[in-house]
Amino acid sequence: MYRKQVRRRRAVLTLLIIGSFLLLTATYGQGSGGLQQGISTVFGPLQDGADRALKPARDLVGWFDETFEARGENDRLRSELERERVQAVAGQEALQENEQLRKLVELDRSSAIEFSTFEPVTGRVIARSPTVWHSAVTIDLGSGDGVVVDDPVMGGDGLVGRVAAVQPGSAQVTLITDHTSAVSAKVLPGGAQGVVRADVGDPEDLVLDFIVSARKIGVGQAVVTAGWRASEIASLYPAGLPIGEVTRASIVEQEASQQVHLRPYADLANLDFVQVLTGGARG
Amino acid sequence: MIVTPKIFVRIAAIALLAVLLQLSFFSRVTLIHTSPDILPAVVVVLGLLGGAMTGAVVGFSIGLLADGLLADDLGGSSLVLLGIGYLAGVFRERFEIHSALVPPLLCMGLTFVAELGFAAVQLMLGVDAPISPLIVRDILLKSIFAFFLGWPIYLGVKRVLRPALVEEPRVRRRRAPRVLGA
Repeated sequence: MYRKQVRRRRAVLTLLIIGSFLLLTATYGQGSGGLQQGISTVFGPLQDGADRALKPARDLVGWFDETFEARGENDRLRSELERERVQAVAGQEALQENEQLRKLVELDRSSAIEFSTFEPVTGRVIARSPTVWHSAVTIDLGSGDGVVVDDPVMGGDGLVGRVAAVQPGSAQVTLITDHTSAVSAKVLPGGAQGVVRADVGDPEDLVLDFIVSARKIGVGQAVVTAGWRASEIASLYPAGLPIGEVTRASIVEQEASQQVHLRPYADLANLDFVQVLTGGARG
Repeated sequence: MIVTPKIFVRIAAIALLAVLLQLSFFSRVTLIHTSPDILPAVVVVLGLLGGAMTGAVVGFSIGLLADGLLADDLGGSSLVLLGIGYLAGVFRERFEIHSALVPPLLCMGLTFVAELGFAAVQLMLGVDAPISPLIVRDILLKSIFAFFLGWPIYLGVKRVLRPALVEEPRVRRRRAPRVLGA
């Protein structure tokens, strides 16, 4: 009797392991399949309800955590303020130059989003991935709101990621801190171009890779999406969306390209509201 | 544990509640830059109370649900969680839980194994980005959080599944009679 039980148990275990591998093989890199669509559609409203119900508890824990970290943050902000003051002076000069140039080329558009044909739709984050290996959130906007796969997603301060899967009432967003994310970007001023990738395990750090080592990049410089178009293909992100600021730039003499670390503008660890840029032309 | 249809519904409700709590609450709060992960702890507790088969099936289901809700590749979390559910069940079948510290310690140890498992699955599938050394801190802190969350989870799940648990009746300690004048 006991032996029979053990045999049955082992058979179930083997079946589950084989099932897991089959699922991995079938869905790896495929995006959202039928099963995932079904799960999200069925449990989406429950997630939405849970998110609303748990908001006060989340805020309470957040308050404790923020108070604990406030001291360190204060020092960091002081040094940042000093740096920003220097940059503000430089910014004033740039603004004057910019005004003159605008007159020259007869352009009068204020930001990257307005410049493009995208229509921003605001939504709420209702769930987040538990592991740092898969950096994703679920939002309460879906195909009914005009959201489609690969739409860029913005936070209050900068780029957050792109839509990976869409259901009628919800969508999954792959964050720029996910290891599958790659955003073509450029450093301002200077225009050095590279690819922004995640530094897996550290949500406050991104790596701007493949920059020609001859271009000098300094701490505090802004990084924005490059946006490009080549015949039929184009970047998923329009040009000029703010991504982050350079925190560390190291030049390795032997290498043809350099790596630059940046801190994302968007607070990716505490996302509550996001804006999906629907419609619009890519690149 | 005797799994009747009623108990099956209770286990399914616990699994669903755990996934919703994880995705809507625990994943979205950070303590010392890390979010707690209760899913391995819940699977361990269900394995401890229900045995290896319950642990493995629940682990597989919770993993599938979590991956499905986040549009991740299906199967990765299931593979890891079914493994730790099975291990917790085997532990329960071979050893007695003598101390109140056993469930939280097991939650901590197996959460550590699960986090390493998630990393192994991701590395097996290929990671296209540099990996920060902070990942080690994340794994260690998640395991420590599991220790503190393990005991309340164990008590809560045990209370919900009490009708299905085969427990030996507690032996009541009797006070030794006091002898007057001694």
